[in-house]
Amino acid sequence: MPVEIVTGNHAAGYTLAVAGEANRNARGATCGIYPITPQTEIVEKVAAFPFTKGRVVPVESEHSAMGVAIGGSLGGARSFTASSSNGLAYMVENIMVAGFYRLPIVMVAVNRTLGPPWNIWADQGDTLMLRDFPWIQFYCSDNQEVTDLTMLAFRLAEDHRILLPVLVSMDAFILSHTLQETDLPTQEQADRYLPDLELPHRMRHDDPKTLGGLVWPDATTTLRMESHEAMLQVPAAYEQCRTTFKDVFGRDPGAALDTFHTDDADTVLVASGTVATTAREVVKRRRAAGEKVGLVKIRMFRPFPEQALRDACASAVKVGVLDRDYAAGVGGVWWQDTRAAFQGRRDDLLIQGYLVGIGGGDVTPETVDRVLDDLGGRDAAGGPVWTDMKPEEVVA
Amino acid sequence: MVEIRIHGRGGQGGVTLAKLIATSRFLRGMSVQAFGLYAAERSGAPVQAFCRFDDDTIVNRNLIYEPDHVVVLDPTLIGPAIVGGLKPGGWILLNVPEDPERFASEYPANLVATVDATAIAREHGLGTRSVPIVNTALAGAVARILDFPLEEVVEAVRHLGFSDANVAAATDAYNAVATKKPVSVPTPSDNGSARPGAVQPTLTFLEGGGGSLPLVKTGQWASEQPARQQYVPPCNHVCPAGNDVQGFLHALAEDRVDDALEILLRTTPFPSTCGRVCPAPCMASCNRIELDGAVNVRQLERYAGDRGNVSLVPAERRSQRIAIVGSGPAGLTAAYHLALFGYGVTVYEAGSQLGGLLRTGIPEFRLPHDILDMEIGRILDLGVETITGVFVKRERLLKLAQSHDAVLVATGLQELRGLNLGVADAEMVVQGIDFLDRVRSGDHDIRLDGEDVVVVGGGNTAMDAARSSLRLGAKSVRVVYRRTRNEMPAIAEEIDEALEEGVIMDFLTQPVAIERMAQADGDLGEHHIICRRMELGEPDDSGRRRPVEVPDSDYAVGCHRIILALGQSPDITVFPEGTEVHEGSELLGILETPVYAVGDLATNDGTVTAAIGSGRRAALHIHQTLTGEVLVEDGQARVRSDVDVWHDEVIKSDALRMHLFERQGVTEGAALEPERRRTTFDEIHAGLTDPSEAKRCLSCGVCNECDICITYCPEGVLKRVGHDLVFDYAYCKGCGICVTECPRNVVFMSQL
Repeated sequence: MPVEIVTGNHAAGYTLAVAGEANRNARGATCGIYPITPQTEIVEKVAAFPFTKGRVVPVESEHSAMGVAIGGSLGGARSFTASSSNGLAYMVENIMVAGFYRLPIVMVAVNRTLGPPWNIWADQGDTLMLRDFPWIQFYCSDNQEVTDLTMLAFRLAEDHRILLPVLVSMDAFILSHTLQETDLPTQEQADRYLPDLELPHRMRHDDPKTLGGLVWPDATTTLRMESHEAMLQVPAAYEQCRTTFKDVFGRDPGAALDTFHTDDADTVLVASGTVATTAREVVKRRRAAGEKVGLVKIRMFRPFPEQALRDACASAVKVGVLDRDYAAGVGGVWWQDTRAAFQGRRDDLLIQGYLVGIGGGDVTPETVDRVLDDLGGRDAAGGPVWTDMKPEEVVA
Repeated sequence: MVEIRIHGRGGQGGVTLAKLIATSRFLRGMSVQAFGLYAAERSGAPVQAFCRFDDDTIVNRNLIYEPDHVVVLDPTLIGPAIVGGLKPGGWILLNVPEDPERFASEYPANLVATVDATAIAREHGLGTRSVPIVNTALAGAVARILDFPLEEVVEAVRHLGFSDANVAAATDAYNAVATKKPVSVPTPSDNGSARPGAVQPTLTFLEGGGGSLPLVKTGQWASEQPARQQYVPPCNHVCPAGNDVQGFLHALAEDRVDDALEILLRTTPFPSTCGRVCPAPCMASCNRIELDGAVNVRQLERYAGDRGNVSLVPAERRSQRIAIVGSGPAGLTAAYHLALFGYGVTVYEAGSQLGGLLRTGIPEFRLPHDILDMEIGRILDLGVETITGVFVKRERLLKLAQSHDAVLVATGLQELRGLNLGVADAEMVVQGIDFLDRVRSGDHDIRLDGEDVVVVGGGNTAMDAARSSLRLGAKSVRVVYRRTRNEMPAIAEEIDEALEEGVIMDFLTQPVAIERMAQADGDLGEHHIICRRMELGEPDDSGRRRPVEVPDSDYAVGCHRIILALGQSPDITVFPEGTEVHEGSELLGILETPVYAVGDLATNDGTVTAAIGSGRRAALHIHQTLTGEVLVEDGQARVRSDVDVWHDEVIKSDALRMHLFERQGVTEGAALEPERRRTTFDEIHAGLTDPSEAKRCLSCGVCNECDICITYCPEGVLKRVGHDLVFDYAYCKGCGICVTECPRNVVFMSQL
């Protein structure tokens, strides 16, 4: 497949489809589809794909869309769906089910502000709401990452050491609706990269059993611990999937996190999604001016790459975390996880949270400059900083 | 990196133009981005699209605030906004037929290029005639001004799968684009004039200064158009008098009392009377029942009749003369309409006063005589002559037919039904109609103090007789009726009021005999009426279930007086032998003069409002017979002048958008307390004190000019001109919001 100029939605929908088609010699593919701005084009793309084996099921709600994926996956089909924002909120019950059923479902989510107030633009608060769910989570910075991580997600999810669903997220409009040159996978590549799905606990009509019924606390604890064990296996399994990906597709989908000029940095920014690429330009410019600043772009949010993050910030004395999300009464979600990663290990480190581009506000190089200026003048961390507010608008 | 901003309108393909430019650069190996600025825009709204390309990988993801170049798809968008943030020396590419010189003074700091992409797109059949798709042509123009080879843009157009026509359009535009260098050569520091917030020159032709640029007729984008329709409201449909109920309620809702009365007087001369005694089928059919109760139409009709002031002017006097026998509601209504038509009308009345049953059969506590006199006076003021005290029999009728051009017989129901109860004092058993007349004519001087009264029957006469008896001092009043309350023909409200006042009702009871019980002490004793229990059997011809006697169920009720109210039947001896009675049709074939039977005599409907309708129809029919002029009777229901589609069907509540109406309880006027009522013949109801109850009318299926549609029209293409609602179809995109917001289903969408 030549490089195409496509939107993030196009890339995601197409990749989901060829990944599903790659399972045609096993149990095929299933996808429950329900529209919501700004992801609708993804499920439209999937619905238009001529699958050899499987079903695309239009349903009446996001809850049922995930229900279709759960049922299909339990039957051994490669299963996936897509949603966004309040659609995800409505889907939540079944999102949890998919996780603790240990089903290798892949969902692409377009990060859109959770209403109210009604807002269709980018904000990661919708998927970060799922941070405590047994799902692996990736955040993308461009359409190529959307494509590559969606493809990789299936191989990772279906690894028998893992068997956890994977969420691949992209910023609304900034990726979902922006055309960009993107190297899309061919069916032949997908077939090579993705082995037929073999679900160990696949349901069979001739061997009926109940899944997820009432159990005692000790059995629940055991199952939670097993999920945790699987999560702990993810970094190693991811690296293996990444290596194989390079072999098949000839490009690197990237590590759990990318570092940029962190080796000798005294100030490090932590960012994700498209904010990270804008921040990278600012860091590049400031480096050229002699400032010892660096950037960590986190690709994998769950499991959170704590060790890699600590390593990347080894020389830093200040860390600024950019959150395009808001956790009520706390600040940014990424900021909380970053602080937790250093808790008791680097108590000398100043870790400050910044709320940028909330509700889809445009994050410009000037935004990142303001963050770095603030961070440079700090002696101690404080409450979250709302960068999009003009000083006169801030009510103490 | 080069950044381009595109100004267009939703649906014009601005994002695709960005993609075309990006693709042509991508095919040269550059890194690209193309995106739109998305919100809740609909077709036609001003929108922007963006394109970036660079030799290095593009990493920034923010919007473009300071573009290198701008492209404008739609001429109507040309103005100061398009150069906001534009870098000095950058290109402004406009889709207009004019020479770029035309814009040089407005944009002195920039290069201006123009191309008539609209004409090129039309020439190549791209899009529709009204909405040409100009993006491929403009892609060619962009390639030209940015010095890209033509082959590159052609390759991009083909890469994206566009047709040869698009390739031709891009090629034509590439060759046709006209350019103008900046008036002042910009320097790198001279970028102030184009910064956001800087004052920009305004193009005069946008303010109607004589330019030839076309406005975008967004109405041409529509696939549907709203239009107006009208249904028949159920109240208008069921009114036996043919009143325009919705119409007079609408006038009252706007506090136009005189107009309301004028609308009523088109059909009925008795609004104050019907506003008191009508059973109001309009209220029973009112769609508002589903929401919070029927509109109180009866009281509102009374309000209009009592308080309105209208001068009636009859048409020029005609030579024909009409005789009318009987001055009840049917006869007087016919007289009213015929007098308005200009005919000479003489009314013959057997009694001493006009009004027929309105006067003799309805007690004053329901219909005061001054109200009746006022309404009859309005009829007489039209020049109607009256002769009272003349009982017209067969011979007189034949004479009237010879001396008049038409005769109406409206003598009502004169035959009273009796009941054989065996021997009794003549004084003791009385007919209800006679009783009520005697009460009225004696000015309530009869006393029934201490008496137990039994009224037999279930109609309004029975109720009126029972309630009058209470007022005359009766100790007890008992109504016996052989069916149940459900079958009673009396107005429901009158039954309720009778019960409130203390009237006892024995349902499923039939009187069979009167006995006088001698007492042990030799006293003659009281009369007893022997009653028999009934039960309901199969339905009879009237559709009501037939009462059947229950064996061995007789019981005795003591009473001093029995009032029979068993209904009446027409006395047709006035007509020659063998005459069949038909409403509104010629009766006496042997005579040249048409003779009509109207009102209860013809229809036996038994209500004032039905008699009014019958009298009016007879008047219209006579006029048509005498003049040949056809009068459309249902014209009164069609009250608007600019309706596109007329529906003759009655609109039901399911066709209304009930959720758009606010709940508001029924307004009832003040009424006397039941205790007070038992002692007086004063009118019970005081009537409404203001017409606000009329605002509860939903105006089902008829525009009442609430103008919600105008309020909600997002395009401002709806306006009211007089009573007309005018859609500006040149700009209406057919969004349909006016339809979904109209609570009464008056606006509908029609496919184009």
